[in-house]
Amino acid sequence: MSGEHLLARTDEAQLYRDLSRSNLVTTWKWFAGAGTLALVLLWGIGVFVYMMMTGMGVTGLNRPVFWGILIVNFVFWIGLSHSGTLISAILRLTHATWRAPILRAAEAMTAFSLMVGGLFPLIHLGRNWRFYYTIPYPNERGLWPNMRSPLMWDAVAINTYLIGSLTFLYVGMIPDLAILRDKSEGWRRMLYSILSLGFRGTHAEWRRYHRASTLFAILIIPVAVSVHSIVSWDFAMAKVPGWHSTIFAPYFVVGAIFSGIAGVVLVMTVLRRVFRLERVLTPLHFDNLGKLLCMMSLIWGYFYFAEFLTVWYNRNPEEWEVFSSYGKSYLPVFLLMIMCNFVIPFPMLCMKKVRRSIPAISIASFLVVVGMYCERILIVTASLARRNDPFIWHNYFPTWVELSITAASFAMFGLLYMIFSKIFPIMAISDIKERLFHTTERAFGGASAEAIARVEEGEEEGSA
Amino acid sequence: MSGLVLIGLFDGVEPAAKAGQALRALPLPAANLTTISGVPLPDGAVSVDPRPIRFSRYVVVFWFVGALAGLGLALATYLLYPLITAGKAIISIPPTLIITYEVAMLFALLATLVLGAREMGLPRFKAKKVHEPRIHEGKIAVCAVVEPGEQERRAREAMKTAGALDIRTEEGEI
Repeated sequence: MSGEHLLARTDEAQLYRDLSRSNLVTTWKWFAGAGTLALVLLWGIGVFVYMMMTGMGVTGLNRPVFWGILIVNFVFWIGLSHSGTLISAILRLTHATWRAPILRAAEAMTAFSLMVGGLFPLIHLGRNWRFYYTIPYPNERGLWPNMRSPLMWDAVAINTYLIGSLTFLYVGMIPDLAILRDKSEGWRRMLYSILSLGFRGTHAEWRRYHRASTLFAILIIPVAVSVHSIVSWDFAMAKVPGWHSTIFAPYFVVGAIFSGIAGVVLVMTVLRRVFRLERVLTPLHFDNLGKLLCMMSLIWGYFYFAEFLTVWYNRNPEEWEVFSSYGKSYLPVFLLMIMCNFVIPFPMLCMKKVRRSIPAISIASFLVVVGMYCERILIVTASLARRNDPFIWHNYFPTWVELSITAASFAMFGLLYMIFSKIFPIMAISDIKERLFHTTERAFGGASAEAIARVEEGEEEGSA
Repeated sequence: MSGLVLIGLFDGVEPAAKAGQALRALPLPAANLTTISGVPLPDGAVSVDPRPIRFSRYVVVFWFVGALAGLGLALATYLLYPLITAGKAIISIPPTLIITYEVAMLFALLATLVLGAREMGLPRFKAKKVHEPRIHEGKIAVCAVVEPGEQERRAREAMKTAGALDIRTEEGEI
C-alpha cells in the first residue's frame, strides 16, 4: 500500500479520455438518436403552430377544466428540475466525497428541465403571440403585469432559478473548460478559450473559485425551495377544493425533490451506458442516491397521507368530492400514483441489492417519475373537474394535440442533453480529479480503507 | 505581479512544496510566488495567497440592493398601475415579500458571478499571463517572479534541488 494520493496513481491522460468520451467520440448512434428526437420535436412544434392557428378548442380543455396536461407538464418539468441543482449544492456544501461524478449530470438536468418547463405556460397561454404583455415594460396601452397574481411570482421565481442554475452550471464548468481549451484544436479550442475566460488554475484563482462555488451553493438552495413553493401557490392561492391547502408548498417541494432524484438516477444510467462511464459512475453512487430516493418516498407517503387524512376525516363535501373522484373516474391514475410512488419503490429501495443493481434502481426511478406525473395529473385536472358547482363537473382527457406537445417536450429535453454532452464535459473532470487528489489508501490491520484529506474554508492555513 | 517569471514543473505536491519553501527562504515575497495546478492546493501547501478574499461581503451588499430593487418594482407597480378592488388594500404585502425575496436572490447570484470573476481577474484573453498546460498531466507548476541575475540563479537552483522536471523563464505576469 502506498501513501500516494489516488490521482498520482491514475493515468490522467486516460482519465481525461474516459471522462471526455462524449466530446471526443461521435458515433452514428448519436446522430440517429439526435435525429429521432429532432423529428419528434419538429412534430411537436408543428402541432403547436396548428393549435395556435386553430385555437385552444383543439385541446381537451373545457369548462371547468381550464388547466390540463400542458400545466401538468409545466409542474412536472419544474419539479424534475428541482433536484439537480439542489442535490449538487447540498453535496457540495456537505463535502460528500462521492458527489463528483453526479454534479454535472444533475446540474444540466436542472437547466434543461427548466427550459422545457418554462415554455409550457407560454404554450398554454392561448394567443401566444401576446406573451410579451407579461413582461413589465412601459407601453402605450398602459398594460403592466399584476404582481398580485401568483403566476407573476412564478415568472419571477422561475427566471431567477433558471439564471441561477445556468450560472451554477457554468461556474462549475470553468476549470473543465480550461482543460478542454488546452487539449483541443480548431473551433473547439476557440469556443473553450472564450468560455473558460482565461482560467489558468493559479493558487489565487482556485481559492476564489472555491469561495464562489460555495456561495453559489448556499444561494441556490433557498431559491430552489422557493421556486417550487411558488409553483404550489399557483394552486394553493385559488379557492379550489383540493388546492387551497397550507401543506401544498412543502408537499410540492418534497415531490419535486423526489422526482428530481429519480430523474438524476435515470440520466446517470443513460450516461453510464452510452458513454461507458462504468468506472466513474459506480454502484456506490446509485446506492447513495437510492437511499435518498427511499427516504423521499417515505416523506412523500407521509405528506400524502397527512393531506388525505384531514379531508377523509373531516368530510368537507367540496373537498371530499375531489378525493372521492380518485376512487371513481381517476382510479387508474390514482392507483398508478400510489403504486409507483410508494408501494413498489419504497420496499424495493430498502434493499441494498436493489440500490446497487443499476437496472433495478433505474426501474424504481422510472416508476417514481411515472408516479409523480400521475400525481400532477390528479392535482391539476381532478381538482378542477370537481369544482364547487356539480352541474358543470366534467372529466378531462387530453387530445392528440396535447399528447404530441408532451412528447415533444421529452424529445426537447433529450435533444438538449445530447447536444450539451457533445460540446461540454458531461462529467465534472476537475471535481473528480480533486477527489482523487485528496484520497489516499491506508491500512486498517489486514484491510485497507480510503482516507480523504479535507481543508475547511477559514481553517488554519496549511492544515489538511 | 509582472516581470521575469521562473516556471518550475514538478511531478507532485511534495517536491513543489519543497521548492516553495526554498523560494520563500531566498527570501521571495508571497506575492511573487504562486502555483498553477489542475487541482486546488490548500493555502500554504506550496504557496500562500497574500490577498484576502473580499467579494463575498459585496455579495451581501448586492443582496440588499436586489431587495430594494424588488421592493421598488412591486411598490411602483401598485402605485403606478393601481388595481382597485373593493375592500382590498392597493399595496398587497404577500406579493411584495415574494418579489423582493426573488429579486434579492437574483442580484446576489449575479453578484457572485461577476464579483467572483472580477476578483479572479477573469475574463482574461491576453496571453501575457504565464500558463502551463502540462498541469493537466498531473504536474504542478511553481511560478516565481524574480529579479534577473543573482536572484534568478538562486531561485533556479532552489527549484532544481527540489526536483523540478523542467525549468524555464518567461516575461509575463503570474
